[in-house]
Amino acid sequence: MKERQQEYERLIAPIEDRMMRAVWRVMRDPNEVEDAFQEALLTVWKRWDRICIHPNPQALVLQISINAAHDALRRKLRHGRLLETDVIPEDIPDASPSAAQGISDAEQETHVLRAIGLLPKKQARAILMHAVEETPYGDIAAAMDCREATVRKHVARARAKLRSLLSHLIPTVHKEESSHA
Amino acid sequence: MRDQDANDEMDELIRRSTQVEIPADVEDRLRHRLAEFRTRVEQRPPNRWRSLVYSLTYRPPVRVMAMAAAVLVAVAVGLVLIPREANASRVYAAAAEQLRNAQSIEYSIVLNETPYVGIDFSYAAPGYRRLNCSWGIEVRADHTARKQIVLMHMERMYVAESGKQVEGLANSEDLVEQLLSLPPAAGRVLGERQAGGRRLIGYRLPNATLGASFPGLKSFDMWVDAGTRQADHVDIAIAEQGKPVYQMHIRNIRVNGQVDRSLFDLTPPAGYTVITAASAAANASKTTPQQNALVLQAQIRRSDALNVVLLPMTGSYAQTQAALERVAFYLKTIGMNPAGSPLGRFESEQNWDAGYPVPAGTHVEAPFRFETLPPALVAIVVVNGPWGKDSDARWGAFLKSVVEQGYVPVGQPMEKWTGEDGKVQTQSTEMSIAVTKAN
Repeated sequence: MKERQQEYERLIAPIEDRMMRAVWRVMRDPNEVEDAFQEALLTVWKRWDRICIHPNPQALVLQISINAAHDALRRKLRHGRLLETDVIPEDIPDASPSAAQGISDAEQETHVLRAIGLLPKKQARAILMHAVEETPYGDIAAAMDCREATVRKHVARARAKLRSLLSHLIPTVHKEESSHA
Repeated sequence: MRDQDANDEMDELIRRSTQVEIPADVEDRLRHRLAEFRTRVEQRPPNRWRSLVYSLTYRPPVRVMAMAAAVLVAVAVGLVLIPREANASRVYAAAAEQLRNAQSIEYSIVLNETPYVGIDFSYAAPGYRRLNCSWGIEVRADHTARKQIVLMHMERMYVAESGKQVEGLANSEDLVEQLLSLPPAAGRVLGERQAGGRRLIGYRLPNATLGASFPGLKSFDMWVDAGTRQADHVDIAIAEQGKPVYQMHIRNIRVNGQVDRSLFDLTPPAGYTVITAASAAANASKTTPQQNALVLQAQIRRSDALNVVLLPMTGSYAQTQAALERVAFYLKTIGMNPAGSPLGRFESEQNWDAGYPVPAGTHVEAPFRFETLPPALVAIVVVNGPWGKDSDARWGAFLKSVVEQGYVPVGQPMEKWTGEDGKVQTQSTEMSIAVTKAN
């Protein structure tokens, strides 16, 4: 019993807040975040023994939390419950800053989350761990059980995909890349 | 640079779009879930088996590195330790082969660590042997001619023998047959130990190959110098039925060295009386005229500590005078005067030393050795007369007196000489030996 208490204090207690935030940032739905969080905790429970001996257990727990949130986000997308009235335009002829500024912050957040939900799992998890949780590549690699170079590749591909999906939100980048093309 | 900016911009967009605070009511509900989870975790029974299985199968990079390290260690074991074991086998094989093909062997046999109960042995191919026992018996044998002479120095008598009985007497004492027929492989490696800067490897020989010649043989351990691949010493334990275990040690083993052939001379020394083998036992119990004349009364007392500089020696005790001169000359070169009379300590002809008392803390260089002889219960007697005269008879009478007083020797015989060289009327010898009360 005492051993388990110590394990919890060592593995979970220091990152409780980060776990909750990681799920909330992706889910942003008061009704569904609890289920996603419960799903994450259930996964942690199932993998407890391996988490205890993992070289970077906290990165692994964070990744589990993000995975649960991302899975919930994808389910929501599949069921058309996210932005069902908002369709991200395939192309915005007028990619000027003024056009981008025409989108509210709330809409921008929704567009970004939807784009993340459209990413392949590994790319989405890698970019969320890197950009949102600011986890070092090495820790992400340990959590994803792959090489660091693979993580960088996932992140790069995620960015590229997000650029194409969110070009209307980042006109300058879009322009430059268009000119390169 | 522009790619980096674009990456940063994209990351910033994601970050900005996700950096939102959790509403308080949502946070409360999530914390409630965490509390439930914590309770479940704390009540979770340990599952060490699953952890072990997972630890063996999970392959994160760190674990891969650990496994790689383990593989490297295994390779190291394969490359270093196993060859080391194989090397140990080769060391034994080389030593055993050298002994099997030896043209000469010399060593001392010590019984139960009691130095004065020892035997100096010499062997020269094809069949010459000589045993010199510390209790005054010497056997010289020529097995090729099936002849031997048994000298009883204390009685100044000898027995000349020939025929079958020759092999029987020598073989029972000298252990050379065992050394000349060592098995090509040792039973098991006992390990290593350092001795005097040398690395010795121990081997326990299988009893099956030696048991026939050693009734009650418990162990036969040979230690070999890993550097020279020569036998260093042998420890033998024997447990005969109804008797306590006793130890024999073969020390100072020298193989293929120059052996003085006169040691095997079957000519009786001048003045010795021949007796028949049949009457030897009876005569051995009788006192000789010399012993009648020499009755010594040992005194038992506690000796003081003594600081000495000694020169380790091997070979004939006749070198005693030369050894003392060498020590005296060395002390003179370092500006030191002896603090007492010269002395000699005689374990065996293979291992004895001679030197002088010196002040405490004297520093000397090899081969000389500074030693503090600790206080001990000793038997002691002073004999007036020429140094070294009738030494065996003196020691026989002295030890007889020790035993008669209910003590047994437990140390090395030591002599101190006083008087002037060349003036025998001034000379005297103090004989002493550490003793303990007999049970």
